[in-house]
Amino acid sequence: MTRAATAEQEIAAQRDAPALAVRALSHRYASPAGEVHALDGAALEVGAGEFVSLVGPSGCGKTTLLRIAAGLLDARPAEPRHPLSGRSGSHTGRAERSSSGTLALVFGEQPAHARREHWLGLVQQEPGLLPWLSVERNVRLAAELAGVRADVHALLERVGIAEFARHHPGELSGGMRQRVALARALVHGPRLLLMDEPLGALDELSREALRLELLRLWERDRVSVLFVTHSIREAVLLSDRISVMSERPGRVLAELPVDMPRPRGEELVATPEFLRLEDAVRAVLRGDSARP
Amino acid sequence: MSEVARPAEARGARARARARDAARQGAALARLVGPPVLALALLLAAWEAWVRLKDVRAYLLPAPSAVGRALADEPGRYLEAASATLVAAMGGLLIATTIALVLAIAMAHSRAVERALYPPALLLKLTPIVAVYPLFTIWFGFGLWPKMLVAALITFFPTLVNAVVGLRSVDPAALDALRALDASPAQLLWRLRLPSSLPYLFAALRISVPLALIGAVVAEFLSGDGGMGQLILIANGDLDTATLFAAVAVLVTMGVTLTAVLAYSERRVLFWHASTSGV
Repeated sequence: MTRAATAEQEIAAQRDAPALAVRALSHRYASPAGEVHALDGAALEVGAGEFVSLVGPSGCGKTTLLRIAAGLLDARPAEPRHPLSGRSGSHTGRAERSSSGTLALVFGEQPAHARREHWLGLVQQEPGLLPWLSVERNVRLAAELAGVRADVHALLERVGIAEFARHHPGELSGGMRQRVALARALVHGPRLLLMDEPLGALDELSREALRLELLRLWERDRVSVLFVTHSIREAVLLSDRISVMSERPGRVLAELPVDMPRPRGEELVATPEFLRLEDAVRAVLRGDSARP
Repeated sequence: MSEVARPAEARGARARARARDAARQGAALARLVGPPVLALALLLAAWEAWVRLKDVRAYLLPAPSAVGRALADEPGRYLEAASATLVAAMGGLLIATTIALVLAIAMAHSRAVERALYPPALLLKLTPIVAVYPLFTIWFGFGLWPKMLVAALITFFPTLVNAVVGLRSVDPAALDALRALDASPAQLLWRLRLPSSLPYLFAALRISVPLALIGAVVAEFLSGDGGMGQLILIANGDLDTATLFAAVAVLVTMGVTLTAVLAYSERRVLFWHASTSGV
């Protein structure tokens, strides 16, 4: 009885928790050129059912933040300096590392937990499909790994690749492959969709087509999305909110709400409101004091 | 009416297109195979003519016709020897590939295991097998095992190295996509790493299939215990040069056949890989 009550409370707490909460997230990693300070106290929130874009210059740690949120990477903040000697102490650093995982939470839980529960869907710049499997088998594999039964055909229909179900990825164009990757990320019904420049490797025409398709899909399903991009136009068109990141080490400089009515379409791009928002994002990136 | 006629017309057109395709493929095959076959025939004819005109002694260089007769007189002898060699070579290859694959999986997952196992594997590769073969006969006696062991030792290293590289050469985006779905290490191995390593394993087989044949023949040659190696050893003692040539011809045929079978299965299995160009 009490156990049931606690479970209910937990569920309620989860429902109230934001889809993604990132607070004071710092990360360093070793590279051949020395230690790279990728993130420095980044903070970000994606509400349930919200579409948030993360915009920033190349190499500012956007991908690192997304990979930490996906539970693919453990956050490793700066080695804390010893208060007396000023030298970094490696054993305290180790403790710091393990506790730092709480700095990114998915529906109130650790990213690794969210991953184990199959709450996450991931779409990256490269589709990452298995070339020896057909389109349908690629998508079905994701459902199998997540342990769910899914109507793969209906999903392929929705992302517009049903007629290529039996084709192999090598026979498809880049845009088509990215649609398959999107279907694979959606097939198990994720609660948070993490997208890392999903349109970044596409030519301009496919990019435009897929952008509108994504808008249409999302406005129907309203799954929570973190969308990493360096295209300001894409961010304004798709998002409820835009987080703008600084150069490395990445911090979030500003959050800009996008209050344009939905459903949206490409015709918005020429409206004064759209252009004003684009300018506002650019101003933040330039470092003007144009924070709202 | 035209509605009814159209499918038949289409069928006819398709059949004609198929016939055209077949003819084109036949012509392409002729262009591919014609020149080397012609060159080989010319070489054999020149050889035959030279031996006959110059009256070259048979123990120095037998005419191709004499080699053909040696083969035709005792086909059973060559068949038996060839199958014994084939069993030793393929048995050794199977053992080596299995062990190399298991070790490669361990090495691909742990740099420490890789560092621990690589030096002994390299030592094994650098050991001259001819020199250690007497040890094998002391330990295992004669028969199939020492021969398979030589074939296994000679093919082990290329398979191991290729398998490790193959298991590591995974598309990072695919790896992340499956990890985000919480795929277990076993699932990643089975669904992603092993299929990704297949092009490298086939590359290894292209090297190791001929090597395995060499290994088996050398072992038979050293032990004088059955197979093509023993056949060569005896013919050499008798100065039976025609049989020596016939044995070489049989071994070449075996190598070519095995390589062709391998190339065919590679095209079937790796239809998705760039190395087989096209689907």
